[in-house]
Amino acid sequence: MTDTTTSPKSYREPAASAPILISVKGVGKSYTRGGETLNVLQGLDLEIPEGSFQALMGPSGSGKSTLLHLLAGLDRPSTGTIEVAGRRIDTMSEGELARFRAENVGFVFQSFNLIPVLTAIENVELPLLLTKLPSAERKRRAQTALRVVGLEDRMGHLPKQLSGGQEQRVAIARAIVHDPRLIVADEPTGDLDRASADEVLRLLTKLSQELQKTILMVTHDPAAAERATVRLHLDKGRLSLGPDAHPVARAETSTSEAKAEAKSKPASEESPS
Amino acid sequence: MNLATLAAKNLWRNRVRTVLTIAASAIAVLTFITLRTLVFSWTSASEVAAKDRVVTRHKVTFVMPLPKRYVEDVRQAKGVRVATFANWFGGKDPKHDQEFFGTFAVDRDTYFQVYDEMVIAPEDLARWKEDKRGAIVGDALAKKMGWKVGEKVTLDSGIFPNDPDNPWTFTISGIYTTTKKSVDRSSFLFRWDTFNDALPAAGKDQVGWIVSRVDDPSQAANIGVALDKVFDVQDTQTLSQDEAAFNSSFLAGISAVLRAVDVISGVILVIMMLVLGNTVAMGVRERTFEYGTLRAMGFQPGHVAFFIVAEAAFVGAIGGLVGMALSYPVVDQGIGKFLEENMGNFFAYVGVPRHVLVLALVLSIGLAIVASLVPAYSASRIRVTEALRRIA
Repeated sequence: MTDTTTSPKSYREPAASAPILISVKGVGKSYTRGGETLNVLQGLDLEIPEGSFQALMGPSGSGKSTLLHLLAGLDRPSTGTIEVAGRRIDTMSEGELARFRAENVGFVFQSFNLIPVLTAIENVELPLLLTKLPSAERKRRAQTALRVVGLEDRMGHLPKQLSGGQEQRVAIARAIVHDPRLIVADEPTGDLDRASADEVLRLLTKLSQELQKTILMVTHDPAAAERATVRLHLDKGRLSLGPDAHPVARAETSTSEAKAEAKSKPASEESPS
Repeated sequence: MNLATLAAKNLWRNRVRTVLTIAASAIAVLTFITLRTLVFSWTSASEVAAKDRVVTRHKVTFVMPLPKRYVEDVRQAKGVRVATFANWFGGKDPKHDQEFFGTFAVDRDTYFQVYDEMVIAPEDLARWKEDKRGAIVGDALAKKMGWKVGEKVTLDSGIFPNDPDNPWTFTISGIYTTTKKSVDRSSFLFRWDTFNDALPAAGKDQVGWIVSRVDDPSQAANIGVALDKVFDVQDTQTLSQDEAAFNSSFLAGISAVLRAVDVISGVILVIMMLVLGNTVAMGVRERTFEYGTLRAMGFQPGHVAFFIVAEAAFVGAIGGLVGMALSYPVVDQGIGKFLEENMGNFFAYVGVPRHVLVLALVLSIGLAIVASLVPAYSASRIRVTEALRRIA
C-alpha cells in the first residue's frame, strides 16, 4: 500500500477537519443459511467525513453491498454500532429506519430502479411524497433536481423513452431531490457504456464537490473508483484502503484498518454482497 | 401525484393483463346482477303485493276450487270492503301454442275494483261488461300477439273441456295497462259467468280463489283468520293469507331453485376474487424489486400494502362499474324485455333493482380488497435488502 494519490485535479479533497458523517465501530454481520452461520462482515471500524466521495471495491461476495446496506440503514448489523449524521441507526426500529432513510439517504442503483409507469419528473418526485410539502412545491423541487442532472427537457418522458445514461441521471435526481446528506450508489455505472458512465460519474463528483453530498459508491470499475477521493477495499469481510488512497483518507481510516485487520475473519464466499 | 394516483398508475403497467382482469370482473359482476335481478323479479310479486288484499283459497291447495257461494260470505265479513274471485283457465292460443300467458275467468263487476293497479279505459270496460264473450288483455300480451280491440281470439283450455261446437272464442274488448311495473301485463281476462255457463253441471259454481280488499291493512291477518273460522265448519275448509303470503306459496315449489341461483351468483363473485387474487399476486412478485426501491427511499411497509390493496380496489371498482353499466343494455333492455314478453307470468317486470347494483359494486370492491390482502401483507413484510436483490 502506498501513499500516492491519483485523484483527478477536479476533485475537491475533503478537508481534514470535515465533520464525520458516518462512524462505524466493531460492526459485524452474519447470516444463517441452512443451519450454517456465515460471517460476512466482522469487526469493521470506519469513519467517513461529510462531503467525501468514497468508493468501495472488492470481489463478488466480499460484503460490499452488505456494508453499503448497513450504512444506508437498509439493514442492521449483528454486532457493533453505526452512527450516521449523529444518530445511532443500528438500534432503530424498521419504522425509524424508514424515516431515517427518507430524510438522510438517497439511493442510486445499478439497474436505475425507476418506476416504469411514471414519467421522469414523477419518479423524481417519489421521495417527496413522504414529506408534507404541497404538490406545487414537490413539483418545483423535482424540476430543479432534473435541471441539476441536465434533463429538464425530458421531464415528461417515461423511463422506456430514455437512454440508460439518462435513466441513471433521473435516478440521481431522485436521490438528491429531498436533499439527503448521504448518497449511496450501488454499481451506478454497471449497466452503462463508457460515455454514459463518465457522465454519471461527473454528476456524482459534482454533487460531492458543489453540494457537499457524502457519496458512498460500490463499484467493480477501477475507472469509476478513480473519481472517488477515497477508495476502500473489502475482501472476505476485511476492510483496507486502496493502494492509491488519498493521504487524508488514510489518516482518517488508518486506525479502522488496523482494527479491521486484527479482528476480521474470512467470511464465506456464499455470503451476500 | 399522490399515493393514490401512484397506485392507479400501476394499473396500466401491463395493460393487456389489467384489461382482461377488469373484463373478468365486469363479466362476473354482470352475471351476479343478472341472476340477482331474475331472483328478485321472480319473488317481487310477493314483495310488492298489496298489503290490504287477502286471498282465500282451498285449505289443501290452490289447485282445488271453492264453492262460489263462499264469495258472498266473504263479502259479508267484517272489515272486508270488496271481494272478487277468479279461476285459472289454463288457456293457449292454438295458433301460437308455444306462447305462454295467464288466462283467468274473472268477475266482471269487482275484479278491477280489487286490482285497481290494472288500468282500463272506461269505454273498454263498459264494452266488456256488455259482451259475454268479451276479453281484456294486457298491453304487453296484445303487442306480442298482435291483437287489437275487436279482434276474435279462440283459446284451448288445458283444464276445462274444449267443445268444437262451442269453442272458447272471445272478442278483445279492451287492453289494460298497469300503474306498477311489477304487475303482469300479459294476462288474458274473460268473464267468469261465460266460463261458468260453458261448464258441465258438475263443474259449475266453483271459483279458484277469492280476493278481498280490507279496510285496515294492519288487520289483514286477523280478517284472514276470521274468514277461515267461518268456513271451518262448512264442507270445504279454506286458507286465507295476505297477498304476499299467497304469492309466496306459488314460489314455495321453486324456492330451492331460487336459493341455488342465489348461491351461484355468490360463487361467481368468489371465483372473481380468486382470479383477481392470483393476478395481484403475480403483479406483486414481478414488482418486488420496485417495492424494495420504494422501501429503500423510506416508504413504510404500510405504504407498500396500500399500493397493492388500492390497485386491487381500483380494478374491483372499475370492473364493478363496467358490469353495472353493461347491466342496463343486457338485463333491462335485453334479457328483461325478452322475459317480460315471453314469460310475463313469472317475470312481470325485470329491471335491475338499485340495491342489487349497490350490492354488486360493494362486493366487487370488497372482494378485490380481500383478494389483495395476502399478497399485500407478504410484500410489506419482505426485507428491503432481499427485495432489492430480486432486481436482476
